Amino acid sequence: MMFKLNKKLLISVSAAAVLSLGLSACMESASPEKSSIQIKKDIDGGVSDTLANDKIGPYYVNTNAHKVDVKYGRAPTKAEYDAWNTDVMPDGTGLPKGQGTADEGSDIYDAKCTMCHGDFGSGGGGYPALSKGNAYDLHKTLTNQRLKPDEDGPVRVFGSYWPQVTTLWSYIKDAMPHPDTGTLTDDQVYSLVAFILNANEIKIKGVEVDDDYVLNRKRLLEIVMPNRHGFEPNIDGPNGPDNVRKFYANPKNFGGQTYDVKNPASRCMTNCQKPTAKVVYIQNGGINDFHPPLSNVKDLPKKKASHGFDAKKAYTTNCAMCHATDGMGAPVMGDKAAWAVYTAKGMDKVYANGIKGTNAGMPPKGGSDLSDTNFKSVVDYIISKSK
Amino acid sequence: MDIKKSQQDLQSTANDVERTSIDRRDFFRKTAALSVTALAGTSLLASEQAGNPAILKPTPWGTIWGDPVTKNIYGMPSKYEHNVTRRYTKLLASGNFRASIAVTPLQDSSGIITPNGLFFSRCHGGVAQIDPNEHRLMITGLVEKPLVLTMKQLKRYPSVTRTHFIECPANGGQEWRGPQYNSLQFAKGFMSCAEWTGVYIKDILKDLGVKKEALWMLAEGGDSSKMSRTVPMEKVLDDAMIVWGQNGEALRPEQGYPIRLLVPGWEGNLCVKWLRRLDFASEPWYCKEETSKYTVLKPTGKAIQHFYANEVNSTVTSPSPEINWTDLKDGDLVEIEGLAWSGMGTITGVDLSFDGGKNYVEAKLKGLVLPKCWTRWSYMHTYKEGQELLLTSRAMDDAGDIQPTIDQEELVVGVEAVYHRNAVETWKVEKDGKITHVQLRSQYERKPNGEIMIEGKA
Repeated sequence: MMFKLNKKLLISVSAAAVLSLGLSACMESASPEKSSIQIKKDIDGGVSDTLANDKIGPYYVNTNAHKVDVKYGRAPTKAEYDAWNTDVMPDGTGLPKGQGTADEGSDIYDAKCTMCHGDFGSGGGGYPALSKGNAYDLHKTLTNQRLKPDEDGPVRVFGSYWPQVTTLWSYIKDAMPHPDTGTLTDDQVYSLVAFILNANEIKIKGVEVDDDYVLNRKRLLEIVMPNRHGFEPNIDGPNGPDNVRKFYANPKNFGGQTYDVKNPASRCMTNCQKPTAKVVYIQNGGINDFHPPLSNVKDLPKKKASHGFDAKKAYTTNCAMCHATDGMGAPVMGDKAAWAVYTAKGMDKVYANGIKGTNAGMPPKGGSDLSDTNFKSVVDYIISKSK
Repeated sequence: MDIKKSQQDLQSTANDVERTSIDRRDFFRKTAALSVTALAGTSLLASEQAGNPAILKPTPWGTIWGDPVTKNIYGMPSKYEHNVTRRYTKLLASGNFRASIAVTPLQDSSGIITPNGLFFSRCHGGVAQIDPNEHRLMITGLVEKPLVLTMKQLKRYPSVTRTHFIECPANGGQEWRGPQYNSLQFAKGFMSCAEWTGVYIKDILKDLGVKKEALWMLAEGGDSSKMSRTVPMEKVLDDAMIVWGQNGEALRPEQGYPIRLLVPGWEGNLCVKWLRRLDFASEPWYCKEETSKYTVLKPTGKAIQHFYANEVNSTVTSPSPEINWTDLKDGDLVEIEGLAWSGMGTITGVDLSFDGGKNYVEAKLKGLVLPKCWTRWSYMHTYKEGQELLLTSRAMDDAGDIQPTIDQEELVVGVEAVYHRNAVETWKVEKDGKITHVQLRSQYERKPNGEIMIEGKA
């Protein structure tokens, strides 16, 4: 019986395929740029082999192995199911109850997020910005194209670009804070979402999410993001998969080019570039920050310098991301006053905080895998530069 | 025995023998001609007394015992190969290299298989080190019978082995405005190819009773980033696999040990690593990176989402910025070699241009040509000293796709797309045989309606 359901589904999928193919074929013959291509396309615009004579394309298949219902495993218990069933969907499925304000979010943000995402979500340390200002204004930048170096590009942050606010909720709940995920309560997540909505100046039913606005499940689901309809193909609803198929059936939608598979000799072999195309070289050296540096030399690896551990290098690799610049929440190397606060409590305390990590956002050993001894010498290095 | 058939077989065997002997005769005739030359003149170098110590002197490895077989019981590359590694750039590093990428040295790759230690590695929360005994796969949502499997149980399902590339859709994504990397490894190495072993998801689902409303599948990782993506049901019921084997051994942690999703031909990030859960629903999830990243913003302001397949693509691997021609002499015959791949089907041909994609000649495919897999191609070229060339390759697949020029692609998707760049790529052979990464492209402007156009054209 189960298998029947599957079969039905398979049939409905292929029926949809035929229907959409018919449509796209009509569209193509109506188009002046005719195409003689008549291939059955998959949902991604590609083609794939089907089973024939015990083979799928070039691969032999033991068809007996795939005909039978193989059964292993067991059903999850209710507790197991609940523990992992944490996904959140745009209609609110899976979104738990809870509440919080931007004000509360601000405190959590300063403690757990600023060191990577910068003040008010301005970004830094290689981590994405969470806001660049008013989302409704910035949404208008999405048609920008930085064709010349001095032009402004599109701003693709949460407020201006993401179509669903539930994505932000589950992002924070699942995957933040980055070194220590799954540690925030639902209320904390609501507070952080409120804080980020506030930074993006998002309105809920015309009301701005100010510092004291209480965000809860109901209100969160009322949010319509400025770029809600900024994506193609439309994947929502029962026609979602068919819309996807139609979209990719036409390479013109994504900048693709076609040739006639049945007559490949007709493809362009001469004068295939626009006459305006010129040779463009790498500008200003391009990107050549390669690690390790490129080399195709075949020799014995150089012996590692034996003069011991390089604290400066370890600092650059593991700590500089947060401790080198202002605005990351972490005390900046060289800031005497900032470090004096910590060293006043004694170096043992400074070492211990560094090794174990702190609630203020310091990950254990800065996320490095340094030994305690080496880590302490990095701390010594930072302190020596901050006296 | 079917006598007629066996006679035919004999006939064809005879033909084969004859053909072989002709080939052989031909070969010997040529060799004989060379021998005459060798005897008449001399093919030996004049200074016979001297010679290279590499040949004349006994070597330590040729005279002394090598290592016992008990050493390195998991084998290691020769230590002389220590420069053959994945590489990374800080430009693409985030979070102390926990949301980062290290890319494959295509310049050192041969054939169509990437060794496991060199397979490109991209993660969103670091490389998880999972205990397989404690790892479970759970299947839930719109199924009659939800399921939990241990890794041992999962491997009881009938296995399937397929060779497919996996490519990050950001491969080449730094070069929409112009070339940036004078390096094959960084310009094209956000991809690798391997032989994967696992199970078709459809084989597991057969007994679970998938409800007809199920249009989408969520794949979720068990790592700290819980990377997740929405996959349409059609792919799930076609060739989507859960894989545990990579080139004949277990997946490496960097590729999702103990198990990952494999959706052949599709964006690498859809092949969710450290897989722990599949969930079925009637609507898509809008997962974490599904729209915030991995979407292609067009000049219209609309962005392409659920852009699954990596389109037809190719590159010249030799020569390349890493493998130059500075040692070649005038008249040397040299093989130009490259890779072609398509997530939409099987490679049907590759063309090669010496003038940056204006005019093309056909190159030859070589080796195995498999669907959604790296394909090697080759062209024999006579090197002319001091001659500048613009080497551009262009691949096509059996879905009817052919690589666009940069202008063709960008006039549609603009320069802010980030992902899914598959326009033709060009290496310039300089007069001295060095290789430089260049692009052939027009300058663009925008019409008042926002459309991108070639500069100076109305």
